[in-house]
Amino acid sequence: MSRILVVDDEPAIQRLLQAVLERGGHAVLPATNARDAAALLGRGGIDAVLLDLGLPDRDGIELVGAIRAGSAIPIIVLTARSETSEKIAALDLGADDYVTKPFDGDELLARLRAALRRADRSAPVGDTIAFGPLKIDRARREVTVEGTPVTLTPKEFAVLETLTEAGGRVLTHAAILERVWGKAHAEDVDYLRVVIRALRLKVESDPSSPRLIRNEPAIGYRLAEIP
Amino acid sequence: MDRRLSAYLLATLGVGAIAWITASALPVLGLASSALLFLLPVLFASARGGIGPGLFAAIIGATAYNFLLLPPRFTFRIHGLDNIVSVVALVAVALVTSRLATRLKAREREALAQAAASAEIAALSALLTEGEVTTAPARGTAWLAEHLGHVRLIAGMTDLEGDAGFSALDLSAAAWAVHNGDITGHGSAVMPVAEWSFFPLSPRGRLGGGLLAVARPAEGVPRSEGDLAQLQALAFLLGQACDRSALEAERRERARIEESDRLRRALLASLAHDFRTPLTVIAGQLEALAATSPEAGEALAAARRLDRTIEDLFGAARLEDGSLSPASESLDLVDVATPACDAVPLPDHIALARAIPPDLPFVKADPVLLHHILINLIDNAARHAHRQVTIEAKADAGRVLLSVCDDGPGIPEAARERMFERFARLEGSDRRQGSGLGLAIVKGFADAMGIAVEISDAPGGGACFTLAMPPAEGTAQ
Repeated sequence: MSRILVVDDEPAIQRLLQAVLERGGHAVLPATNARDAAALLGRGGIDAVLLDLGLPDRDGIELVGAIRAGSAIPIIVLTARSETSEKIAALDLGADDYVTKPFDGDELLARLRAALRRADRSAPVGDTIAFGPLKIDRARREVTVEGTPVTLTPKEFAVLETLTEAGGRVLTHAAILERVWGKAHAEDVDYLRVVIRALRLKVESDPSSPRLIRNEPAIGYRLAEIP
Repeated sequence: MDRRLSAYLLATLGVGAIAWITASALPVLGLASSALLFLLPVLFASARGGIGPGLFAAIIGATAYNFLLLPPRFTFRIHGLDNIVSVVALVAVALVTSRLATRLKAREREALAQAAASAEIAALSALLTEGEVTTAPARGTAWLAEHLGHVRLIAGMTDLEGDAGFSALDLSAAAWAVHNGDITGHGSAVMPVAEWSFFPLSPRGRLGGGLLAVARPAEGVPRSEGDLAQLQALAFLLGQACDRSALEAERRERARIEESDRLRRALLASLAHDFRTPLTVIAGQLEALAATSPEAGEALAAARRLDRTIEDLFGAARLEDGSLSPASESLDLVDVATPACDAVPLPDHIALARAIPPDLPFVKADPVLLHHILINLIDNAARHAHRQVTIEAKADAGRVLLSVCDDGPGIPEAARERMFERFARLEGSDRRQGSGLGLAIVKGFADAMGIAVEISDAPGGGACFTLAMPPAEGTAQ
């Protein structure tokens, strides 16, 4: 059972999240403002944070930075705002994922599960990483999809490796570009889109309706467990 | 009293006084000293009045000396070379002194004029830099009017058209000044017969198009080259003030727009929060019930549709206030279609068919707006479909076409134009659900991105909405 800190100032949302999280087998610690949240985090024993960005006493995005400065605990941001820039800011500050209100309870639980699993795997991953049907052998630079080897170019390999390491977390375009192409190319989303298209042709069972490499419009990419 | 006249008077009185003194005291003073004393009125007269009074003093002085003092006294006869020398010396002193004095006076006048010019520039400069920046050009113009008579600040040639104060000649002088960045009109080398003089507001090579117009002075004294240079310096000062004023006005306008943009965003964000919080609670609780109750499932679908309507309202607000500035990115339609399909859950009896070739050229569009458009088209199709919604894409004649089709009743030819009007719903048919806002958003966003939307019949009945998008360069494969 994981202990989840839920930071949201709306009592009705708190109750709803409590019901959803308990349905998923988690225990909930509620906080209605940033100060209480920081105090609870200070006491320790928390496995993940669900954080609403619109808090009464402090900008939620600042809180993401503050938490991330002292800990690697998974953070999932809840937002009622449609602005993609805020989501990107939260992700770039170290949030693991975001969920837009109104959210789907099952989807929230799935995201939370993925975030907890990543946190669990605390030590740096070894030579082999896996996600869903994907297996990547980093030492030998080999990739298999459901056991079938696929041949990737170095850039394709690097992008897939980056996404796989994130293990289902959303990576912003800039984050992937910086990692694979370098800081100077953080804006060159076109490079990334071309490589993603090529990757899908090699690893997706239906490249025109991809289930594994998912696009978050205007934000970035993530790997999804194939349902 | 006139300076010259007073100099003549001084010469006459001075020579008279010296003549009287020397004549009465000749035995004591001696001839040489007396002659020296006659230099005094010559010096004073020529220093004060220049060459004329100086020579006059020299001549009457020499005459008086000759007549009263030089032996034989009381005659004009001259004996001996030394007496001639005395007269010549007096005349020479008068000439040299008056020349020196004239030159000194010219210097003094020049210095005074320069000081006045500098004072003028300092005064205008202080006036322009102190106080409110945006009104500085008006204040400067008023100050110049006070000092120079009729002046006009001209921002551009359009200011002058139809202005009765300027003749055709003035207008061509002004046009020349704007075009060449040079002084024209009265007093200058270019069209000097014009009634006005025109001074560019910025130095040559940086033509702002602004001019300072100064009317011909009423007294009819033509402007000298120095006057023109001074006026040009003042005009440049005024031009700098105009530049500063324009920059400041621009900065304020930008700040105003930013502030209203910030307010608008804050308002929308708080509205989004106010709508979505209860909606999240409603949808969340219904979701838990939906597992066991079909009614709750229907209510959940309605709540989700309400959320899309709210998104449409925010979209409409952005279209309304003109704050939409679409990005132009290269997008893979596979990337666009998948999340849109996921965002609109279809009822169980409707199937979604997707045919998007993975080798289509990328398209140029804004990812967020295109996502929203597609959600609305899928939502619209799902509401009218009997069994199936089809999304397909193809490259066609240099464009990329993305269609969302249903197998519902279709839209009659005559009604198609009205489909994108806000709140237009098709009367007399069963295409009546929905707010009517969704398709208006589709059209509005598509227009903003330069994407055409066409309505056609789907093969086998039903309606097709097709987006005709420009391909992104360099990605056609």
